[in-house]
Parts: sequence; structure tokens; C-alpha cells
Amino acid sequence: MSGTKMILLVGLAVVMLALPEIVTNSFALDILIRILLFSFIGVAWNLMGGYAKQLSLGHAAYFGLGAYTSTLMQIDFDISPWIGMVAGGAVAALASLPIGWLCFRLRGPYFTIATIATAQALMLIFLKFRDFAWGAEGTTIPNLGSAPLMLQFEGKAAYYYVALGLLALGLLVTFLIERSFIGYYLVAIGEDEDAAEAIGVNAPRIKRDIYMISAFLTALAGTFYVQYIYFIDPATAFNFNISIEAALVSIVGGIGTLWGPVIGTVLLETTSALLQSWLGSSTGGVQLTVYSLILMAVILWRPTGLMGVLQDILERYRRRRPAATAKVAP
Amino acid sequence: MFETIVQAVINGLLIGGIYALVSIGVTLIFGVVKIVNFAQGEFVMLGMYISFYLATRFGLDPILSLVVTMPALFVVGVVIQHLLIRRVLGPNDMPQIFLTFALSLLLLNLALMLFTANYRTVHTSYSDTAFHLGGLYIPVAKLIAFILAMGLSGALWLFLHTTDLGRAMRAASQNRDVAMLMGINPNRVFAVAFGAALALAGAAGSLLMPFYSAYPFVGQTFVLMAFVAVVLGTLGNVLGALVASLMMGVAESLGIQFVGADSGLIVVFAMLLLTLAFKPNGLGRGRLRS
Repeated sequence: MSGTKMILLVGLAVVMLALPEIVTNSFALDILIRILLFSFIGVAWNLMGGYAKQLSLGHAAYFGLGAYTSTLMQIDFDISPWIGMVAGGAVAALASLPIGWLCFRLRGPYFTIATIATAQALMLIFLKFRDFAWGAEGTTIPNLGSAPLMLQFEGKAAYYYVALGLLALGLLVTFLIERSFIGYYLVAIGEDEDAAEAIGVNAPRIKRDIYMISAFLTALAGTFYVQYIYFIDPATAFNFNISIEAALVSIVGGIGTLWGPVIGTVLLETTSALLQSWLGSSTGGVQLTVYSLILMAVILWRPTGLMGVLQDILERYRRRRPAATAKVAP
Repeated sequence: MFETIVQAVINGLLIGGIYALVSIGVTLIFGVVKIVNFAQGEFVMLGMYISFYLATRFGLDPILSLVVTMPALFVVGVVIQHLLIRRVLGPNDMPQIFLTFALSLLLLNLALMLFTANYRTVHTSYSDTAFHLGGLYIPVAKLIAFILAMGLSGALWLFLHTTDLGRAMRAASQNRDVAMLMGINPNRVFAVAFGAALALAGAAGSLLMPFYSAYPFVGQTFVLMAFVAVVLGTLGNVLGALVASLMMGVAESLGIQFVGADSGLIVVFAMLLLTLAFKPNGLGRGRLRS
């Protein structure tokens, strides 16, 4: 990592850590928490969808499994959601094995459809079996006031720091994978799976492993989210919009890049918050209409997303600078 | 008991005809243009709203409004193929999947804004009438829809097999490069395939209107069913999609009859998962074979 990059990263970290001291408005903090959370989900999706190009629209399955695991453990056995969070991740990672075994039989768009179907099937299971997990009505999560050990805090600032920690974890995992041989394998699979296999990449195994990691991380977000809103039901935990947003923020921001999902989330969530404040609560359909238009624009004109745009700008800036110094020299 | 089963099978076949129109469209686009149209269900929805407005504003019978919805959606299909789809054709999956997915999101949410989430129904003189055969009950509206759906599927089959353009489409689906060498213009073939598929979706919308409600999310049910039928019937195979759709209709109807009214979707998912586990290449073989 170059010096400038290091300085930028430290600066960003300081700003992010200090932000709740400056922004105390609860509405604004809520938006920031949403941005951090969806960035994290996007980062988790991007590992599999971005680098290996396995375009899942079923990540809500793991979000929901994480949310339900920790909530069931908390309500039925009084186990801290901190532990439940990790357990939820483990459940999701295990669930990704059979789901992946089925879905990876298909490639391209039909893989995507299979992932949608498995997530919907999981939602149906939680809707149907009401003795197991409250059925369609869902349940509220007991509010214990200030109980940091139970992942419950007074005020939103603490939730902000937890979400920030999750995002940092996701980025660190992505950074490490990107730099390792697995990262190169993933990109090779994403470019051309058959060619990757021909040069000796064990594609099924790599896909299975990265799917597990991606599912694990997504489940952590699920636990955090239901703890944050104190409520869980199948429609919230397995909401198709979570699968959509995970993919959308990555594609709009820059698919298969470390920071793409973060930049994409900042753009989409800010747009959504602005729309809400302009149009009030009567925004049925407006948010997703705008999202879909942004998505179409990115696909048609900038398939590399906002990261591609930024890189172009940087490139132009770099090219201009040596030209300027060349003029000064005789 | 026997009569209940026969009744459930008849109900399933009747709705399966509509599923067939949607799945044949999906499989036609997949076979020829090599993309999956995630927005196919939203075009069924569009067909339903067009029929609904023609019926309420001009008193046109929903089934007769086929003559409007089919050409209108054919044109929409040609335009979409020309302006959008054509730009993302290539080896990369991501733009293709997410372009039609974005189109689906856009149409769905525009419908939500323009038409609201209310259910719209059209009542026709034959909406409530039915034939009684022994103890069996056959609703007229569904029977008409089924017969016309089979007729349209047959017409598409004839088109693919007896006309030059149809043969060109089948050739392009088998091997695009060789077809181009034989002088087939791929853009024209793709546009016709996309247009024809959307016309079928529009027809499904019109045929549904006498006995089904229109609402923004209506297409999602049908497209999910179609995707499963298309996998089950082998990707790109028209006859496979038709047979699989009828099977899906019957399976769903038997599920509703014997497991519970809300078990239709569970049957669909179970069929998809079983297909993926045991027959990931579908029950048939080949592309656009019929």
C-alpha cells in the first residue's frame, strides 16, 4: 500500500470514528447506520458476486438465517446475540453448502434464478412452521435498555460503531482474499470458469468456500439488523429487497472492487433518503423506480460502476500532471 | 376421491395453458437471443392492465383485446430489443441479467406508482358460467383461455417450422455463427423473437383478465412458474416448456387440493429443487427442438 493510500485510509478511519460526535441527529445517524450496514452486505455479496461473478439474488436467505438464529437463541435460551451472531454466521455457512450444491449446478442467469428460489423457499418455511419461530406474525425482541453484552444500547451511536466494525471486518476479509491466491482464482473463475478449470483451478471448491464466507458475513448483518429494529418476522428477515440491494450497491459502485459496494451504497442510500425527505412517506415504488433507472444507466454506460468513473478521473489527473512538469523543464 | 383428482387435474391443465404462454416466451428468448428475460412477468402484467383499461373505458371484451395487446407488446419487444438488449449481448452475464432485472423492477414500481397496488378485475358475461360434465366443473373463461393459449402455442410452432423467418430463428438458436454465415441477419431474428415472446406474454395477460385480478406484482407469480417450467422442460426447448408448464399447473393444483390452499408455491419450489438435484438439464434435450 502506498503512502498516500495509507494517509487516506487513516484519515477516513478518523473521520468515521469521530462522526457520531458531530452528527447527533438521530435521523441522520439512522441513515449513516443504514449506509454502513448495506455497505457491509454489499461487501459480503461482492466476494462471490463481484470477484467470482456468481450473481446471487438470494442473499436474503443468509441474512434471515443469521437474524433467526440469534433471536431464537436469545429468546429461547437467553444467550447473548453477540454469541448468536457468530452462531448465525455458522448456520448460514453450513446452509450455504446444500444450497450451493443445488444452485451451482446451473450457470449464469439460471444460477441467479435458483438462488432467488432457495431464499423464497426458506422464507416460506419460516412462514409455515409457526411452532418453530412465531410464523408470519414474527415477534418483538425484548428491549433490555442499555445492555451492551446483549447487543442492545441506548442511543444510536453505539449501533453506529458496531455497524462500522462489521464493515471494517468485511473490508479486511475482502482485502486479504483479494491479495491471496484465492483472489486470483476467483477472478479467473469470474472471467471464464471452463478456462480456469483447464489451468487447474478447482472451481467447485473455490466457489463453495467463497459462498460460505459470503453467507457467514451476510448472516452477521442479519443479527445486527433485527437487534437494531427490535423486531423479526419472515417478511423482514428474508426480504427480497435485501438480496436486490446487496447486488445493486455492488454493481452501481463497481463490481469486483474493494470499495465499490461502499461507494454504491453511499450513492443509493443518500438518493433514497433525499427522495424520502422530498416526497414524504408516500413513496410507494419511487425508491425502487429510481434505483432501477440508476442500475440501467450504469449497465448501459458504465459497467465498471462508480469506481470506473473515479479511476478515469484519476487517470486523467495523472496524465495531466507529468505534462505540466514537462513544460517547466527546459 | 377419483372425481376430486380429475377435477384438480383439469383445473391444473387449464391454468397450465397460461403458464405455457409465459414459459414459451421465456424459452424462445433464451433459445434465440441467449438471455433470460427477468421482466417477462411484468409484460403479462402490462397486458392485463391494457385489457383492463380497454374493457373499462371502451367496453372491449378482455379476450377480444388480444388483437390490441399482442401487436402492442410485439412492438414494445422489438423496441426494447433494439434499444436495450442489443447493447448488452456478449459473453458477460452480469449486464444481461441485471438489465432485464432492472427492467422488471422499473415496470413493477412504475405500475405501483401509476395504477396503485389495488386489485383490478373485469367482470364479463362468462366470468361466472361453467360447464358441468357429470360431477366435473369447467369454468368457461378458463376453458376459452386454455384453448386460445394452446392455439397460440401451436401457431408459434407452425411459425418456427414452416416459415423462413421461423427456420432462421431455429437456426440462430442452434448455432448463431453458422446461421450468420448462411446470411441470416441476427438483429432481425432477435427482434422478432423478443417481440413474439412479449406478444405471448401480452396474450396471457388478456386471457387472464376475465378470471384473474390485475395488480403490480401479478407477473411475479407467473414468471417464477415459467422459470421452473423452462428449467424442467430443458432450456430453450419450446415443446418442453409447454409440457412442463402443464405439468406445473397440475402439480400446483394437486398441491392446493391435497396439501392446503397456500401450498402452491411450495410445490413449485419443491419441483425446482428436485429438478436441480436430479435432472439439472431438464427432462428433454436440445434447443428450440419441438
